[in-house]
Formats: sequence, C-alpha cells, structure tokens
Amino acid sequence: MVEKDVLKKIVFLKDLPGSVLEKVGAIAQLETFDEESILFRQEQEQKLLYMLVSGKVFLNSRSGSGKSLTLDEVSYGRTFGVSALMGEAVSTFTAICAQTSSIITVSGDQMRELFESDFEIGHTLMQKVVELFKSRMDRHTRQFLNSLATHPEIKQV
Amino acid sequence: MVKIEDLKRINLLKDVPNHLLEIIANEAQLSIFGIDTQLITVNDKVDTFYMLIMGQVLVKKELTAEIDVILDYIQSGSSFGTSALIKGSKASYTAICQEPCEVITLSGKRMIQLFETNHELAYYMMLGVARQYKRHMDLRAQMIIKTLDENPELKEDINDIENLTLVI
Repeated sequence: MVEKDVLKKIVFLKDLPGSVLEKVGAIAQLETFDEESILFRQEQEQKLLYMLVSGKVFLNSRSGSGKSLTLDEVSYGRTFGVSALMGEAVSTFTAICAQTSSIITVSGDQMRELFESDFEIGHTLMQKVVELFKSRMDRHTRQFLNSLATHPEIKQV
Repeated sequence: MVKIEDLKRINLLKDVPNHLLEIIANEAQLSIFGIDTQLITVNDKVDTFYMLIMGQVLVKKELTAEIDVILDYIQSGSSFGTSALIKGSKASYTAICQEPCEVITLSGKRMIQLFETNHELAYYMMLGVARQYKRHMDLRAQMIIKTLDENPELKEDINDIENLTLVI
C-alpha cells in the first residue's frame, strides 16, 4: 500500500483525483533497491510498472554484438516499465539502479484489472500514455529530420 | 457500416471485445481510395482515423523544398491518423496512397464523442493505439542501437534516443 501523497509525486499520476490515487495506492508497493539492482532485463517477461520516488535508474540496451548502451537515465517522478501496463510483457530495455533507489512498483496485471473494473480510470491513463508517446514520437521525428537537414551532403542538394 | 470480420483484420483492434466491435462497425465506413490520394496533410487537423484493409500508404515529411523523407510504408492491418482520436492534435506527417487502397474510416469527432460516454470503448481503442506507438518506438530504438553498434563514433551526435525509451 502506498499513500496518496507519495503517488502525487509521480508525473504520470499527479493530476488524478484522490479517489483514483487511493485505488492505485491499494495495489502498489514502495520498495528500496540497492545500487546495481537489476529491476528487469531486456527481452524478458516484464510484469511490474515502476515509478521512481528517489534515486536514479539507467535504462540499458544490449546490441547484437553484445555491447551495452545506456539510453536513458530515469530521474525521480518518472514511470518506466510501461510494457507491463499494455499487457505486452516483453521488455525493450534492461533497468538497473544507478544508486540506491526508492521505487513504487505496481503489478501490470493488477493495474489492467483496475482499468477493466473502472474503464474511466483506464481511459484516462491510457489516453495519457498515448498523448505522451505521440509527443515523444513527433519530437524524435523532428530531431531526426533536423539532423538530416543539417547534414553536409543534404545541404549540397 | 462495415462487417465485424473486416474489423478483426485490423491489428489495433485485436483485443477489442465483440460488443465494442459492433459499435465501431456501426460508425465505420469502407472506402476505396485511388493511387496518389492524399489522406493526411502534415500540420492539418486530422478528421478521420484510418484502418488499412488492403493496399499500401506512404508516410512522409518534407525535409527541404526539394527533398521529402519517407518515414514509413503502412501495410494492410495497420492504422494511422491517431491524431483524429486526440482532441486538438494535428498531423505530424503526410499520408498518400501508393496503390489503390481499401480503407475503413472512422470520424474522429464522432469517436471522441463516443469516448466521452463509453469509457470501455475509449480504453480499448487507446490501448491499441498505445501498443502501436510502442511497436514503432521500439523499432526506431532498435534501428538506432544497430547503427550505433556499427558506427560507435556517432554516439556523441545522438541526443534524442531517450525519447524512445517509454519513460513517462
């Protein structure tokens, strides 16, 4: 069980009404993970959604040749492991604590059960995920095109 | 109106229960678009959500006055025009039929109206859209990782990959 005041620190949840936060809090746990704890591994089944209350987490990916690359440093207030929320349980990245971290975990199955028992909550949160993903994709496309446009070979055309 | 069997050919709708597919089927239209029909124009408001039954749609964006960059080829079973399902959202690309296309269309305005009263429908549609975005983001991340693996010297120039890590 996690208190509403702690959940309000999470960007993904902060605008939700208190009654919804209570329902999420009832299925959530607050845990402390040591530095170098591996929360989930790339291409393995992912069952939990993670919300970082304090500390830092690296998201790494291993390439075909076996090299590990840090793609993102998750800071407090952010949510990761969203694959669990969508019922697509294979993780894209490996998540490893870069320092001792306090993390709220919620079972993806229980979260989806909550959504299916109260579709208004499910709609609100899933719409939020869609809007965030769309904005991320659009931003990435813009940055990709900006990089291309400034490439010397393109400039010559 | 379209047949439920046609809706079941659309990836985004694969987990949508039959009673919701019936609602969608009543709202949907089946249309045929000729080659080179421009379905979506970048930066315009998108009024229609498209689900491709047959054909191929090219997704592009202008890089310079002389160069367009092709971002994707949409194949049968895929959907596009998700901006139509999000209030106040505009098109981030142009979509053109590369061949004659058979497409199921939904009015974005009507779907948003339905979402306000039918949260179950809204939830399942948004879940499908989120999964589709996730697949695209994963694919892009994998392409970048592969490129960095082959060209590690590019790492310092790449500062946008965190956009694709699904952290929210």
